[in-house]
Amino acid sequence: MSLFRYNTTVTGKEYFMQKAFCFALLLNLIWQVSGAHAAVGCTLSNPSQDLKYLFPEMSTYREDVKALDQMADGRELFQKLKERLGSDLDPVYETYETPYTVYTIFKGDNVIGYVHGVNVPGEGGVIQIFASVNPQTGAMSRFFFQRLESTVAKLLKKKEFLSQFNGLTLADFYKHDYFSKVEPASTEDKVAGIKNPIPSGQNDSDYRSTLRGVRKNLILLDMFVYKQKDEPFYKRAQEVLAEKKKEAVKPLEKKQ
Amino acid sequence: MRFVSMAFKNLRRRPVRSILTITGVALAVAVAVSLAGFNLGYRNAIERSIDRLGFQLMIMSKGCPYEAATMMLKGGTGLLYLPSEIYEKVRNDPDIGSITPVFIGIAEKEGSGIRDDSGSAFAIIAGIDVQSYMEMKPWLEFETGTGFENGRWFKVDSEDEVVMGYEAATYEQRKVGDKFLATISPQGAARSIQKTFRIAGILKRTGTQDDGTVFLPLKNAQKLFNRPNELTILGIKMKQFSGAKLQEFESRWLSLPSVQVVSLQQVKSTLVMLIGTAQTMIAAVTIIAVLVALIGVINAILMSVYERTGEIGVMKAIGAFRGDIFQLIWIETLVICIIGAVTGTLVAISGSRLVEAAIKKLINLGVQGSIVLINWQIITGVMAGAVIVGFFAGLYPAWRAASMHPIDAIREGE
Repeated sequence: MSLFRYNTTVTGKEYFMQKAFCFALLLNLIWQVSGAHAAVGCTLSNPSQDLKYLFPEMSTYREDVKALDQMADGRELFQKLKERLGSDLDPVYETYETPYTVYTIFKGDNVIGYVHGVNVPGEGGVIQIFASVNPQTGAMSRFFFQRLESTVAKLLKKKEFLSQFNGLTLADFYKHDYFSKVEPASTEDKVAGIKNPIPSGQNDSDYRSTLRGVRKNLILLDMFVYKQKDEPFYKRAQEVLAEKKKEAVKPLEKKQ
Repeated sequence: MRFVSMAFKNLRRRPVRSILTITGVALAVAVAVSLAGFNLGYRNAIERSIDRLGFQLMIMSKGCPYEAATMMLKGGTGLLYLPSEIYEKVRNDPDIGSITPVFIGIAEKEGSGIRDDSGSAFAIIAGIDVQSYMEMKPWLEFETGTGFENGRWFKVDSEDEVVMGYEAATYEQRKVGDKFLATISPQGAARSIQKTFRIAGILKRTGTQDDGTVFLPLKNAQKLFNRPNELTILGIKMKQFSGAKLQEFESRWLSLPSVQVVSLQQVKSTLVMLIGTAQTMIAAVTIIAVLVALIGVINAILMSVYERTGEIGVMKAIGAFRGDIFQLIWIETLVICIIGAVTGTLVAISGSRLVEAAIKKLINLGVQGSIVLINWQIITGVMAGAVIVGFFAGLYPAWRAASMHPIDAIREGE
């Protein structure tokens, strides 16, 4: 760093050159930082280190960029994503063109896991949610925030909260759609079993965004990696809900 | 005209060799045009980026800002500040056209990695006086469209409004009206505070560091960072910008303790000087490409002369002068070089976006916008270069052919 340090013994010309050089480097630094802000997708900050941290036995990994607008059935998948998420996608930041990155983790020739991240708008900034999943079952083996600026960040980042997601699958979220409306007290509803770490009365929108982010993450992974293997659970849950709705309407019609 | 048409006929007689030689020249020309275009485009991009800063001069605290930035990134104490009273002193300088005070602070953003010990992210917070800042940067506009409607500057006395640069907003996935959370460490305070702001507007992309900045009222920024009487820089536009005026201005204000005056003209020159090494490399690669093409052309024409020894002998025997043979061979060389130059230039122009994308993918050059600029001067220069190369490349084979003795040539050709 001594090269850049201000030195009172240098001559006038050298002094200006030194200042200009230092400032030029500062500008370059700031430009690089701002350049990094341009990404809209969600990638790991330091994939090789982060993945090694998650999978110490990893020998190598592959990075696949997936974009719905580059897929033949992209429009259909985007519509499916909206429906299965059960909430509107942000029109500015959760668009059809958003790229996603799936990391495939290898130990030798064997795939030992997938890691995928999504952005979801939080209360005070973006929330970046990453999940590592079992390659065979698609069950979450680990869930973590890469970015979370929230008034309740400390509560949401607690290990006790994060560990509740271990073993959760997309099918559990689809089953939750059914249980939450038909059998709210069911012990089989794993999603309902997740304990909200935010005390009641406090704004828990970032908790809800987190659940939405995990669900979005698993839906996309199901599309990108598992050829929509959990689709039957979604369809079955929707069918049962539709039947229940019909049954609820019938007595009313009779009365009329 | 007769020689030109004969030259074309001769080239068509050996199409594969002619095409390969022309391809060699075309590739060398394409490399030369692309690299010259990159050289010019990158220089322009640097100038554009610095001009878009809006200031001609900056007054800042003594000490290398790069060092301060590094300290800040590594969790040090932060940027260097100068007393606000300097602004009061400098603002009445007769040479100043406009001046704007800027306070820069760094807000921590929670988490930038998956581990608890991962380095934290940060946001650049700039406290500004909107009126004078906009005098410097009249091109700043608010983003419009879905999510960005009704963007406006914050109120001067607002304590919870911010305006975000385009990339800062994209990175945080924020829209107008959303909240924005930032963790600020006030000077002297033992604990950081998490502050919630409301986003009043999001600026359009400018291609400068403003895109990654979060703006708030100057007074509020100073208050939040507990530096009520400090500034980071004074941005200055002079009434008349010249070397002499600049020197006068600097000598007036360098006497102030702990202050340095930085001219963006100097920054520009330094940046251009920094890329000088890259330019030397570029020139070396271009020269090598041209030399390879030159040797290829001489080799191809010489081969052609040797193969046509008998034919040249017959031409001379039936009355062709030395000058006729010389012209014929020489024009053949020039035709190869000109066709190669035209083809190479077209390839370079059509592939310039591809070259740009490749360069940007390989290296972060730290500038926004187009970095490959192919203009008429480059095209004319390279075409003239190709003709000159053809001129010299054709001399030896043409002389060799012209100085053949007809009888020996006919005998050798058999």
